[in-house]
Amino acid sequence: MTTIRIGAAPEAYEGKGLYLDGASAEPRKAELRIDEARRALAILMPRKDPVYWPLTEIRKLPDQSEQDMAVMRLAKDPLARLILTTAQDQEIMRVRASELHRRPPVEGKRRLVVWGASALGAVALMIFVLIPFLADNLAGLLPASGKRALGESVFEDVRVALDRTGVDPLPLCEGPEGLAALEKMGTRLFPNQSEEEALVVHVLDHEMVNAFALPGGIIVFMRGLLEKTETPEELAAVYAHEVGHVRALDPSRIALRTTGSAGVLGLLLGDFAGGAAVLFATNRLIQADYTQEAEAAADAFAHQAMLDADLAPEALATLFKRLREEYGEPEGVVQYFLSHPSLGDRIEAARAATPADATFRPLLEAAEWDALRGICGE
Amino acid sequence: MGLLTILTVGIYRFWARTRLRRWYWSALRPGGFPLEYTGTPLEKFLGFLVAVVILAFYIGVINLVLIFLSFSLLSAPGAAYLLTILGVIPLWFFAAYRAQRYLLARTRWMGLRFGLEPGAWGYALRACFHWFLTLLTLGIWHPRLRYALARYRHNRTFFGTQRMEQGGNRTMLYPAFVHVMIGGFLTLGAIYETAPELGPFFAALESEDFSSFEASSPSWRLFYIAIPWLIFGLVYYGVEGRKLLINTLSVGETGFDIRPRIGKVLWISISGNLARYGAVTALAMVASLLLIGGALTQGLTMEEVSEGDPETLFRAVTQDLPGWLSTAVVVVFYFLIFLMWNVLTHVFLTMPTWRHYAETLNLTGTPHLATIDQRARDESREAGGFAEALDVGAAI
Repeated sequence: MTTIRIGAAPEAYEGKGLYLDGASAEPRKAELRIDEARRALAILMPRKDPVYWPLTEIRKLPDQSEQDMAVMRLAKDPLARLILTTAQDQEIMRVRASELHRRPPVEGKRRLVVWGASALGAVALMIFVLIPFLADNLAGLLPASGKRALGESVFEDVRVALDRTGVDPLPLCEGPEGLAALEKMGTRLFPNQSEEEALVVHVLDHEMVNAFALPGGIIVFMRGLLEKTETPEELAAVYAHEVGHVRALDPSRIALRTTGSAGVLGLLLGDFAGGAAVLFATNRLIQADYTQEAEAAADAFAHQAMLDADLAPEALATLFKRLREEYGEPEGVVQYFLSHPSLGDRIEAARAATPADATFRPLLEAAEWDALRGICGE
Repeated sequence: MGLLTILTVGIYRFWARTRLRRWYWSALRPGGFPLEYTGTPLEKFLGFLVAVVILAFYIGVINLVLIFLSFSLLSAPGAAYLLTILGVIPLWFFAAYRAQRYLLARTRWMGLRFGLEPGAWGYALRACFHWFLTLLTLGIWHPRLRYALARYRHNRTFFGTQRMEQGGNRTMLYPAFVHVMIGGFLTLGAIYETAPELGPFFAALESEDFSSFEASSPSWRLFYIAIPWLIFGLVYYGVEGRKLLINTLSVGETGFDIRPRIGKVLWISISGNLARYGAVTALAMVASLLLIGGALTQGLTMEEVSEGDPETLFRAVTQDLPGWLSTAVVVVFYFLIFLMWNVLTHVFLTMPTWRHYAETLNLTGTPHLATIDQRARDESREAGGFAEALDVGAAI
């Protein structure tokens, strides 16, 4: 071979390696040369045709644990390997093979995009369409005892989640005179409760200004709300509003919906069957962002219930108005009451539902009201 | 890499895992030839997405329907939770087998691919059956389970065109299990002997007040023997069982001779655990010192500091800081612990254990290997995605 070189000629390289052809598990001892004419590494083995690896196509396997051994491959050949065991051979390779560390091009980018999008789509479809659809339909099919059991189990979760330590359930307020006053309020509002529709009312010792309904007719007031209401009628209006949600099965829907979507979200976040999902679920229930229609329907139900019990629906308006004045823009603890942009409308509706010439009977004696507001003691 | 994983909300974990595997594989050199891992991060990510789509349906809808049925028929959620968990168990074994298949399909040695025949459902079925018996017999069935599952996997494993074969017999792991049994019986005996005092003991543990609790039964000392024996038994069963399984495994005429030393493995697991728990404790101590120092500079008295619980102290220290900053501090600290734990586990536990096994492994009948040919590529599209989504928790 005649090669004309200008300048100092590279020293002739004579190295050794182990060649694995990738077709059988037989390592072959190989002599290594650099064929300058072909600009390739010549791998010479006894009784076999020489193999030429173009220098620019040689790659070194990345992330190897020890440096005493280096494994080479050819960019386009997934199988054949050349093992170099001496530092000198590795050094020659480092100098001569210019693209030893070039990464292989990323394959299947399009497939990734397609699958990524469909995975997101499928999860969104589950959470926003399929699960709500199923939940809405199944909620109506739950028997009363099932709803009550569901509500009770959710209530336990809520109590644990609301507790600061997150271990013990939040205590219930059970001042006997206060409970009697609550009972009186319930009977006045809903005198003819059937067995199926029986209500259970709890007061939780928590400063949040909030009330919520759970499946199976469980109504929960927070201490914070009792402190913010000024008349028994205001509390009664909230009471009736929550019962409106119960009758419309809103809590059952949300409870079923969150059990479904919590599992899916947990899966995505790698927190399968984990605590975050439960937290998320209970949070959803307390905050209970029902649709505007559901809120309006529950309000309308409350107005009617108040009127039927000779109470002024306007109490709801006075409470909302005071809370809005006190807290200004909706945020934090009163979010539940103020989260809807139509709050002004709801105040108007409560006023409009109150006939100008109607007469109302008082709900509770002053002593009873005091007992109710002090139901948590101290 | 752990840092990148955290910063990318877990997406980098596919890349991290690939690089880790390349590294671990290359450190294992049976017969002087390193293993090579050829899996790619993207195929793992894709496989995960596929699994999420399928599982999202399964978990979302099935969960919902089960909860509904459970409440409407039984008025209690227990049945639904039980059914959901029971429903996931076979999936879990299925995922483990598929993950193993992917792993072997992407592992090469001397240029040849490994492979695992399809058979995930059969594996899941057998695993459920044997685990049921194991629970029923309080664990005494476990050596049978371990052998049966290993045999099922190994007999479907190929190196190139050569099928592997698990020798031995189904009761051969019992000698390795003997210390678990002794430790287990001693523990049960100790519980039985001290049963009348266990209630007060846990009450004292909960109230952190041991002044009223007095151990009168001499059997309490039994625990000092029983628990260490049980722990030793479990390590011994792990090491000795693996040794028995590998030494009766053959690849055609090629066999294995592995001699892990129980003392060495025990030492690795003790020192490794000490290292990682020690480091995390040290980190927690640094944090509490900072907290106490901060509380003192905020004008709290020494008495208030020693009385206050960590939450009050944290509030006191961060009261002047904006909310997001104190949240950020907590988050960073949490991830710091997570990171450190991961790194230390790799450095002091996983790697030394692997290295020890690899160092004591010898191959017999190696000339036979030269006659083995390459096998076709197994696409294994889902690339361990189910295992990733279900958190099956492979070693790496």
